[in-house]
Amino acid sequence: METVESIVEEARALVEDPSYPAARRWLEEHPDGKVLGHFQVYFPEELAHAAGMLPLKIAGFDTALQIRKADAHLAAFVCSIARSALELVMSGTLDILNMFVFPPICDVARHSCAVWARNFEDIDSQIMYLPHNAASPAAVPYLTGEYRRILREIEEVASTRVTDEALRASIELFNENRRLIRELYRIKRETPWLLSAVEAYLLTRAAGAMPRERHNELVRRALAAVEHRDAKPQDKVRVVFSGGFCEQPPLDLIAVIQDACYIVDDDFMVGLRWLTDDVPVDAEDPIEALADAYLHRSDYSPVQHDPRKPKEEMLLRKVREAGAEAVIVAAAKMCEPGLEEQVGYSQALYEAGIPHLVMEFEEKTTTFEQTRMEVETFAESLLFEFA
Amino acid sequence: MTTPTKHERRIVIRPPLPLAGTTRDENRKLIREWWDELNAAGEEGRPVANVFVMGSMAEILRTFDMPIAFPEMTSLQTAVRGRSLEYITTAEDAGYSPDICGYVKADIGVHLQGGDHPMGHLPEPSLVVATNLCNTYIKWAEIWERMYSCPVFVFDIPGWRGSGFETKRGSGTFRDDVRYVEAQVRELIALTEEVTGKRFDIDRFRENLASVNELSRLFREVLELNQHRPAPFNALTEGINLMGIVNAYRGSPKGTRFLEIAKAEFTERAERGVGAVPDERFRLLLVGTACYSNFRDFAGLFEDWQGVFPHSDYMSFAGGALDRGVHYDLDRPIESMAEQMVLTTQEAMGGMFWGQDWLTEVVREWSIDGIVFHGVKSCRTVSTGLPDEREWLLRRRDIPGLFIQSDLVDPRLWSAAQLKNRIDAFFESLESRRAAGARR
Amino acid sequence: MLVAGVDVGSTQTKAVIMNEDRQVLGKGLVPTGARLNEAGQAAFEQALEGAGASESQVGFVVGTGYGRYRVEFGDAQVTEISCHARGAVFLFPGTRTVLDIGGQDTKAIKVGADGEVIDFNMNDKCAAGTGRFLGAASEALEVPLPELGALALSGKNPVKMTTTCTVFAESEILGWLAKGRRVEDVVAGVHRAIASRSVSLLRRVGIEPEVTFTGGVSNNEAMVELISELVGMPVNVSSETHHCGALGAALFALDQVLTGAIPERQTV
Repeated sequence: METVESIVEEARALVEDPSYPAARRWLEEHPDGKVLGHFQVYFPEELAHAAGMLPLKIAGFDTALQIRKADAHLAAFVCSIARSALELVMSGTLDILNMFVFPPICDVARHSCAVWARNFEDIDSQIMYLPHNAASPAAVPYLTGEYRRILREIEEVASTRVTDEALRASIELFNENRRLIRELYRIKRETPWLLSAVEAYLLTRAAGAMPRERHNELVRRALAAVEHRDAKPQDKVRVVFSGGFCEQPPLDLIAVIQDACYIVDDDFMVGLRWLTDDVPVDAEDPIEALADAYLHRSDYSPVQHDPRKPKEEMLLRKVREAGAEAVIVAAAKMCEPGLEEQVGYSQALYEAGIPHLVMEFEEKTTTFEQTRMEVETFAESLLFEFA
Repeated sequence: MTTPTKHERRIVIRPPLPLAGTTRDENRKLIREWWDELNAAGEEGRPVANVFVMGSMAEILRTFDMPIAFPEMTSLQTAVRGRSLEYITTAEDAGYSPDICGYVKADIGVHLQGGDHPMGHLPEPSLVVATNLCNTYIKWAEIWERMYSCPVFVFDIPGWRGSGFETKRGSGTFRDDVRYVEAQVRELIALTEEVTGKRFDIDRFRENLASVNELSRLFREVLELNQHRPAPFNALTEGINLMGIVNAYRGSPKGTRFLEIAKAEFTERAERGVGAVPDERFRLLLVGTACYSNFRDFAGLFEDWQGVFPHSDYMSFAGGALDRGVHYDLDRPIESMAEQMVLTTQEAMGGMFWGQDWLTEVVREWSIDGIVFHGVKSCRTVSTGLPDEREWLLRRRDIPGLFIQSDLVDPRLWSAAQLKNRIDAFFESLESRRAAGARR
Repeated sequence: MLVAGVDVGSTQTKAVIMNEDRQVLGKGLVPTGARLNEAGQAAFEQALEGAGASESQVGFVVGTGYGRYRVEFGDAQVTEISCHARGAVFLFPGTRTVLDIGGQDTKAIKVGADGEVIDFNMNDKCAAGTGRFLGAASEALEVPLPELGALALSGKNPVKMTTTCTVFAESEILGWLAKGRRVEDVVAGVHRAIASRSVSLLRRVGIEPEVTFTGGVSNNEAMVELISELVGMPVNVSSETHHCGALGAALFALDQVLTGAIPERQTV
């Protein structure tokens, strides 16, 4: 019988390897296959999948990837993930991309598209203009049109025509993936002693590094193995981690946090969980259904402005629904939207009387002494009872 | 004429900033009037809108006689007056990160100090219009929303999409974009009616559009005057005078009149062969902005070499692409506004990310010797891809470029010695290029 | 029953022996060196000697400081922030804000009446607001560290340091000297810059009286004066604040003995 540990190790091998081995294996099986890269923030992967492409979430890597060439092409004071992604391709570590779609969420991302377009003639680099005026009634028709535009680019790269049938099948597959991940998160929330934060994270993040069909299988196996796990609840602080909406914190940071806390909810890999509900498979226009889901049945993040989802309220709601007692308000270094949101979140949490710890992280950090101390102090201030 | 050696060069006469002339005086007068209007509106409790230079929607807002505040300009003003650091520190003490945009912090610092600005009292916004042309605009708007509970309208204008993208009338993408933008124009009009309690007057709107057409035409003419040698004005030091007015007075006859004055003054200089920099030796193109907290010193580093900036992409993006030619069709005012917004935005944003072709054209038309790419920590919108662009232009088009970094408004990021080293080395290389060219 | 607190810092290790009435019976202070457990042991033994007590009388030991996990004879570990906060309130019961400027980092802590941490902030960008900056100045000016404070006090026209980076501090200092500014004014300027950054950190947690200033740099009289000036109120300092962390650790040990208050922590 499989153990959770062994399945997590499978996931880890995929997540920590900058050469994306699962994608390479897929290409061996599909010699004419095309790969579409994107950041994890949100991308309607169904569009790529329906064209027979492999969508891959490109993340940064810690010391497994040394930045040598990318820094000569980007200004200083730029987040790590933009530099890592550029380095991955420039160094030849990742040489399998045919297309890359950038989100419009920040100006580093938009500039990156131009830098990629100037440097990589073999990669079709596109910005997908997700609406910033999400509440406008004109947003759905607009986004539907933008998805169609991206689909046309995809069709050209993949040399195929995408049918509604194919789209529906892809939507069904990704709906299932979202359901499985929601189940993982339910376990984290209700019985966090059964699945550590790092384990849950690796199992989730692996989605972006492998074909989605296989990821569904992986998660099913993991869920089955968790049922046989026996562990006792410990006296740890129940926290929500906020700040993983784009660049991901190093695994070691999550490990430091889990020593003192149960991460009962978070926005790690939020792109995978952005759609909070099934996308209707039987919609008349599947592309419109995807656009509608993006705008109307979705999570929240600092890089989507939507007056119907005020971010502080959404965070407080998340804290309540997860039964959390505190929040770690994190941001990636140099991440302008993330850093700005920290102030709003802190003020709202302070007014609501919810303890919170503000911190920054960076992919390439290797020493966590100070962070460990901050997290422990935070936990101590919540757990200790003074004589 | 012998080339002065390094040691002889010390005696350059630095003209006072900005160059003496009627344009400068008119600028001062109009900026003062603009501030007086903001102060009066604040005192009388009349609504004021906070907007941004890349997409101010002044055409719409002016229809309602609503005073418009430009926080980018007011933050800049704290820096050139040497006061930005105190406001930035106030904001940082309140929790804003050292790594976010200095304009935002200088502005929030002013608000946290009760609106107390060196030039007057900054009123609270009753409406905010933030386009997506800079993502920080949106976060900035959210900060005011929390502080003042004011309505925020995020005006979304899809821009440059990627390799091979062209803005083409008649293309499906263009139609979709225009339809989306047009819907938002109408939404903004409805919201402004609510905020001001006034009805939208389409004839007033047409007047504003006509005025902007004229403004754009004049602006292009003024910019072209700098193709002359020597360049009549220095885009680095005098650019902000022009941009301040074309933004604050966009859609107003005072704006067009200002440009007529500028055009007359610079034409006269051109005719008399009077250059902004005496004995002009090098003509440079600035990509990015100046360093406002150390403005005089920054300009001096180039003036030391008798270098002038006949043009800058700042003159394009900081005017909402007015220089690309705005042509509103007064017969279809709302539809045309949407179309022009899409067209100019895609040019402006394309220019910031995918600027190599426009830059090449300017190098040719304005007789530019080299490009100075000035990255600022505060602004990733301007700075992120500059080193790559520089390298591409050098390698593919043999256009010399220099990449330097400082900040918009934070004097802590100014490192004179480092900058001087790089700038001097650049000029030396331009000199040897010239010498090599002459020998051939 | 006695309890002990052992604070293994980067340069010095401190220990305190305390009884159930919260009386300090003995203290220890040794250089940390490379072997953290031995330093902890040595400080502990020094404190025992001072208390005239034996190890068997000590019921619980809490380790703190960056080397807290290396104190093998420790029964529990508590961070230096929590310990410092507790220790500061123990020394000055009116303390509600603590500023700790150490050699490598600076901490601002908001504390409650019992010494509980309400909020805290640390410099994590660089050494510019820490003792390291003073070290850089000491080297650049060739003035021994202990003399910097007195020199700063005699500077009547402090220069305005704009550098944010300790690495560039040296060249900025030399730049000022080259411009003919007096050494004491440059030193005063350096002190002002450090004080300013530290107080900025304090403002982020909110400054409430009384403010207690701890850490190695609190021995610098110029710094005490500047901090006091910038926060607009007198600040508490004492030679005892050296042992602030160890005191707090001992108090946590006492909690454990009296109420069993320290939770168990295990990794999955």
